[in-house]
Amino acid sequence: MGPLFRPRHNTLALISLFVVAAGAAGVPAGLMVYARTPYARGMQDPIEQPVQFDHRHHTRDEGIDCRYCHNTVDKSPAAGIPATQLCLNCHSQVWNKSPILEPVRQSFIQNKPMEWRRVYKVPEFVYFNHSIHVNKGVGCVSCHGRVDQMAAVEKATPLTMSWCLECHRRPEANLRPVEEVVNMDWKPDGDPVAVGRELAAKNDVHTRTSCTTCHR
Amino acid sequence: MSCDDNKDARTKDRDRRRSLPVVDKSVAPAKGAAPADGGNGLWRSQRPWRSIDERDRQGAMPGAANEFPAGTMDVDDNVSRRGFMQLLSVSTAVATVGAACQKPNEKIVPFVRRPEEVTPGNPLHFATAYALEGYGSGLLVESHEGRPTKIEGNPAHPQTIGATTAIEQALILGLYDDDRAKQLRQGVTPIAWRSLLGQINANNAKLAENRGAGLRFLTAPTTSPLLLDLRRRILERFPQAKFVSYSSVADDGAVDGARMAFGKPMVPRHRLGSADVILSLDSDFLAEGPEQTRLSREFAARREPSPRMSRLYVVEPAVTVTGAMADHRLRMQGTEVGSFVAGLCSVLASRGLEKLAPLASLSHGERKWDMKWLVALAGDLERHRGSSLVIAGCRQPPAVHALAAALNAALGNVGVTVEYGAPLTPDPLSGPAPLAALAQDIAAGAVDTLVITAANPVYTAPADFKFAKLLERVPNSIYFGLNEDETAAACKVMVPAAHALETWGDVRATDGTVSIIQPLIAPLWGGIQEAELYAAFIGEGDVGANKLLRRYWQGQFKGGEFDAHWERWLADGIVPDTGVAAEGGVAVDGAALAQTVAPLLTRTKSGMEIAFVVDPKLYDGRFANNAWLQELPHPITKLTWDNAAMLSETTAKALGIETGDIVEVTYRDRHVDAPAMIVPGHVDDTVTLPLGYGRTGVGVGGVAKDVGFNAGALRTSDNPWYDRGATVAKTGRRFKFAITQDHWTMSPDGRVIPPPAVEGPIEEVLKRDSKFHEEIEVRRGPLPTIHEPVDYSKQAYKWAMSIDLNKCTGCSACVVACVSENNINVVGKENVWRGREMQWIRVDRYFSGNDDSLSMITQPLMCVHCETAPCEYVCPVNATVHSDEGLNEMVYNRCIGTRYCSNNCPYKVRRFNYLNYIADYTAVRELGMNPDVTVRTRGIMEKCTYCVQRIERKRISTRIEGRTIADGELETACQQSCPTRAIVFGSLNDASSKVSQQHADPRRYDLLHEIGTRPRTAYLARVRNPNPELHVPDAHGAGQEHGKGEHE
Repeated sequence: MGPLFRPRHNTLALISLFVVAAGAAGVPAGLMVYARTPYARGMQDPIEQPVQFDHRHHTRDEGIDCRYCHNTVDKSPAAGIPATQLCLNCHSQVWNKSPILEPVRQSFIQNKPMEWRRVYKVPEFVYFNHSIHVNKGVGCVSCHGRVDQMAAVEKATPLTMSWCLECHRRPEANLRPVEEVVNMDWKPDGDPVAVGRELAAKNDVHTRTSCTTCHR
Repeated sequence: MSCDDNKDARTKDRDRRRSLPVVDKSVAPAKGAAPADGGNGLWRSQRPWRSIDERDRQGAMPGAANEFPAGTMDVDDNVSRRGFMQLLSVSTAVATVGAACQKPNEKIVPFVRRPEEVTPGNPLHFATAYALEGYGSGLLVESHEGRPTKIEGNPAHPQTIGATTAIEQALILGLYDDDRAKQLRQGVTPIAWRSLLGQINANNAKLAENRGAGLRFLTAPTTSPLLLDLRRRILERFPQAKFVSYSSVADDGAVDGARMAFGKPMVPRHRLGSADVILSLDSDFLAEGPEQTRLSREFAARREPSPRMSRLYVVEPAVTVTGAMADHRLRMQGTEVGSFVAGLCSVLASRGLEKLAPLASLSHGERKWDMKWLVALAGDLERHRGSSLVIAGCRQPPAVHALAAALNAALGNVGVTVEYGAPLTPDPLSGPAPLAALAQDIAAGAVDTLVITAANPVYTAPADFKFAKLLERVPNSIYFGLNEDETAAACKVMVPAAHALETWGDVRATDGTVSIIQPLIAPLWGGIQEAELYAAFIGEGDVGANKLLRRYWQGQFKGGEFDAHWERWLADGIVPDTGVAAEGGVAVDGAALAQTVAPLLTRTKSGMEIAFVVDPKLYDGRFANNAWLQELPHPITKLTWDNAAMLSETTAKALGIETGDIVEVTYRDRHVDAPAMIVPGHVDDTVTLPLGYGRTGVGVGGVAKDVGFNAGALRTSDNPWYDRGATVAKTGRRFKFAITQDHWTMSPDGRVIPPPAVEGPIEEVLKRDSKFHEEIEVRRGPLPTIHEPVDYSKQAYKWAMSIDLNKCTGCSACVVACVSENNINVVGKENVWRGREMQWIRVDRYFSGNDDSLSMITQPLMCVHCETAPCEYVCPVNATVHSDEGLNEMVYNRCIGTRYCSNNCPYKVRRFNYLNYIADYTAVRELGMNPDVTVRTRGIMEKCTYCVQRIERKRISTRIEGRTIADGELETACQQSCPTRAIVFGSLNDASSKVSQQHADPRRYDLLHEIGTRPRTAYLARVRNPNPELHVPDAHGAGQEHGKGEHE
C-alpha cells in the first residue's frame, strides 16, 4: 500500500486552507453586501395590488393632488389609504362600468374593506410620523420616489436607520417650500445647500436624533 | 492590589458613605434613643421602616444588597441538555427555511366609509361616566380607531375633576377581559335575545294577572334617571312588583344616621375646601366612596404648608389611606367608635356647645382611649366652629353617623363643610335590610320571577341568607351580569351584560349632576344593556338602549333644539343644571336623638372583634378578574394577589401567630381559613378581613379563581361590618404571600436605607432657619464633581418632574394609569413573589413610630431620569442613553438583556421581562394596548420614560402649529390620573412652569442626593400639622404622641 498522502495533496491542503480563510472573511462580507442590495431591502420590486391602480394615470395625467387620497398625511402619523368611498367619489361617475374596478364597487356594496398590499413598512418599534415631515417641507418624492412614474408602486428608498439619520443630521438636501411638498418635479432654484439652509430657517426645521424621537 | 486592599477600600468607602449627613440620621436606633434633633420634641426623626421585619432587624435585610429580590433569577423550567440541543437544531432549521422564503405579504385595510371624525393614527377622546354604588364618575376615554385604550377623568365632571381612581383606570382591562360572559343562556341551552324577549313577554302576560305580585327586581343602587323612569313604568304595569336594591358595601349607616338626627333619610355631602380641622371616624374618605376623587383634591389643596394648613384626626382600627395621611391617628376598635364619639359630644358640651347638652350624658362605656387625645381634639374642633368637619365611615352604624351629624350641626359646620341632601334614589337603603325582606318573600314562595342586576349577590349577600339556596325556590330567575359568576350558576337564565364602556345610560354624581354614559365600542360579545332588560318588562325590549335613553331625555327636555343639546351633553360629559341642591334648615333634636342613640351605644358583647373591609383593589369582588388590580400592591400592606387576616403585633404575639401562618377565623359557627398578616398600626384584639377574594364558582374567570379567602362567608346581616365574639386559632400550616414591600430596596450595600422623606410640623417648616430646612438642605444643591455638568438651558425643553409627598396619599391610581398607558405586563403571583413585578411606579411607604403613634409617608418612585445616570455607563450596547433634553431613554430594540443597568441603578426602578408575558394575550386583549408604545417581549429591560410617547405626540402637534408646548398642556399618565395633583411634569427651562416652581420649593429634596446622580424628579417633603397639645417635648419619644394608657 502506498503512502496515504501524495505530494499533490500539499497543493490541495493549501487550497483548502485558502478556501476556509476566504470563507471566514467572505461569508460575513457577502452577507453584509447582500443586506445592502435593493433585493434584500425589498426595493425595485413593483407590488401588484388587488386592483391595478396606476399612480401615473392619476397624478401625472389627471393632476390629482397626492393629498386628495392620502388626506391625513399632514395631520396624522399615517398618510392614510383612501376609503373605498373616496375612490367612488369619481368612479361612481367615470369608468363606473369598468371591470377593473369591480373589486372597488364590491367593497362598497358589501361594506367589506379593500385589502391593499403594503409597500413601505418600518419595524413595529419605529414610530414614524408623516405629518411633521410634510409640514416641515419634506416632499413626498424624497422618500417615495417618482410615484408619478410608477405603474405599480415600488419601494424607492431603503428605510434603514442610517438612511433616516442621514437626513435627520443634514436635512437641508431634502427640504422644499411647504406648498411644494407634493410637487414631483420641484428643483431648488440656485445653490441647493444655500436654498436648503434658507428653507430650514423658514420652515422652522429642528430635526432630532434622540432615540425616543422614533423608538418609544 | 491584593484582596485585602480591596476589602479595605470597600470598608473605607462604606465608612465614607456612613459619614454623610443624610445617612447619619438614619442609623439612629428606632427605640429608646435620644432624639437626633437635640430635644426639639416636634421633630420626628425616628428611623422609618417598611416592614416589621425590617424594623426589628438592626443590620441589613438578608439579600437586600442583591441586585434583584431573592428568587428573581431562578429558572423554573427544566430543560435537559438533549432537549436544548434538539430545540436549537429545530429553531436553526426553521430560521434558515424561514429566511429563504418570501417576505410576509402585509395588508393595509382602510375603511370602506371613513367616519368624519376619525383620522387614522390620531386618537379621539369621548366623555362618558362610570357608575359605582349608583353614583357616577365622569370619564374621558381615549379611543384609537374605535378601540378604547385609556381612561382619564373628565375635568368638567364635579366629582372626578380630571382625575381617576385605580379601579376606574383598570376598567379598560375589564372591557377586554376574555373571561366575560359571552352567551345568553337558559340553563345550559344558548338562546337568542329575541327568544328570551318572547318568553319574557309571555311571562309578563301571566304576571299581569295578579298585578305583578310575583315579580321582583334585585338591582344595584342606582341614580340613573332612565332606569328609574323605566322602573316607574314597570311599576305602573305591575303595581304589586317590587324593586330591591342591594350592595354589600352600601353606605346605609349614613342614611339611617341622618334619619335619626334629622328625622328623614338624607345623604351627607362633604366639602373639604373650607375645613380647617377634620375628624374621620373610621372613614377612609380619601380612598373610598363616590366623593373620593374630589375630596382628595380638596384635602390636598389645604395641605400646602401655610398657617391655613388643615389638620386631620383619624380614628380607625386598621391603617387606611386616610389614616396614613392623618396628623393624629388613634387606633380604635370599630365597635368602640360609638362610645368615643359619645365621649366627644360630652366633652364638647362641657365646653359650651349647648346644642350638644342633651347628648352630654350619653354613656360612653369604659374609657379605653387616650382622654388627652380626645380633649385636644375637642378643643381643636371647638376653636374651629364653622370650619371643621366630622366624617363617619360607611362601616359605622347609624348611631355614629347620627352623632357625627349632631356634632356637625352643633359646630356650625352644616352648610359650610357638610350639607345634607335628599337621597337621589327612591330606595335610599341598599344594605342587608331590604335584602332580608326579599329573602323572606322568596322563602315564603311569593316570588315567581326574579330579575337580578345587582353585582353577584350570591357571593356578596350575608352568609345567613344562604342566597344560592333561596334562588332555587324561584321559578324564573334571570341574572344580568358581566361574568359567569356564582350568581349566574344559581340562576335559570344568564344574560351577559354589556360592559360600562359598551353601554348607553345615564347616572348622577353625588351632587345630582347627570352624565350621559355613551359606549366607546359595540358590545364585544353581544352583551345586553340594563335598560334593555328593564324595557323587556314593558314590551320595549327590542327598542335599544340608545333609543330609550334619547326618548327619555327628549321627554325631559324643554325648549330649543334637542339634537344640538344632546350632542353638547355627550361631548361635555355632563348635562348642565341637573344638580340637586342640598336641603337647608336641617335641625337636630338633641333630646330625641339622645333617646334613640343611648341604647345603641351600650356594649353587650365581649370577645375578639371581627371587622370586614372593602378591598381597595377588588372592591366587593366585582373586580376580582382584573389582573391589573390583583397585581397592584395594596396601598398599606403592599400585598398582591391575596387578602389576609390582619392583626396587630400585640394580638398576634399573644396568639402565637406570625405573618404567613394560616389561621382559622371562627365567628358564629362559621369559619374560614385565612393567612394571617401582622399590620403596623392595627388595633389590638381585632381581626380585619378584606372582602372580595376567595372566588370559587365554576364560571369564575381564571384570574379571580382561588385567590385569597372569602371573608364574606363569615358576614351576617345583623352585623355586616363589626362584631365581637370571633376567635382566631393557628392551624400550623403556612402560606406564602407575594408582598412587594421589601422588593427594590434603594440601598447601596444592603443597609436599611435612610429615610427618603423628611417630616416636620408646620411650625417648623414656616420658620426659615429651622431644623426642617437644615435637614432638607443636605439633600439638595450642587455637589462637588469632576465632570462639567451638561448645559441643558439651550434646549427647547428640560423635562423634569416633581412629586409633592404632602399631597400623595398612596392611593395607587398612578400605578394603574402607568400600566394602562405603557402596555406594562402582568406577571402573576408566583412571579411577584420572585420579585419580577413589572409596574414602573412603585409606591414605597415608610412607617415610623410605634403602633400607637404610627405615621406613614408614601413615596411614589419611578425612574428619576438622573442627569448623570449610572445605568447608562454600564450598558454594553448603548440601549439606555441620554437625550438632548435630559431624558434617560430606554431603547428596547437595542436591549440584549444583560441587566447591568438595573444592577447599577441606585433607585432600583428598572424592570426586566423575565418571561414572554405577552404570549398569553388574546386577540381581544390586544385591542386595548396603547399603539403609541412598543410592546416588550422576553429579555428586554424597561422603565419609566416620562411618557415620552406623549411628549413626542405633543411636540409634533405643537411644532406643526409653529409654537412650543405650553406649561400644563402635556401631562404624563401618572400625573393626569393623580386625584391630589401631587405629580407635576414640565420643563425646567421655563422659569414660570409649575415644575420649576416646585423644584425651587423650600421643601424640595433629591433622593439619594449624596451619590450625585442629579435626578430630574424632585420630591417635596411631607409636612405634618400636629396639634401642639398632643406633642410633649420629652427625651424619650422624639415628639411621639401620647400613647395608649396615658389617661388624663
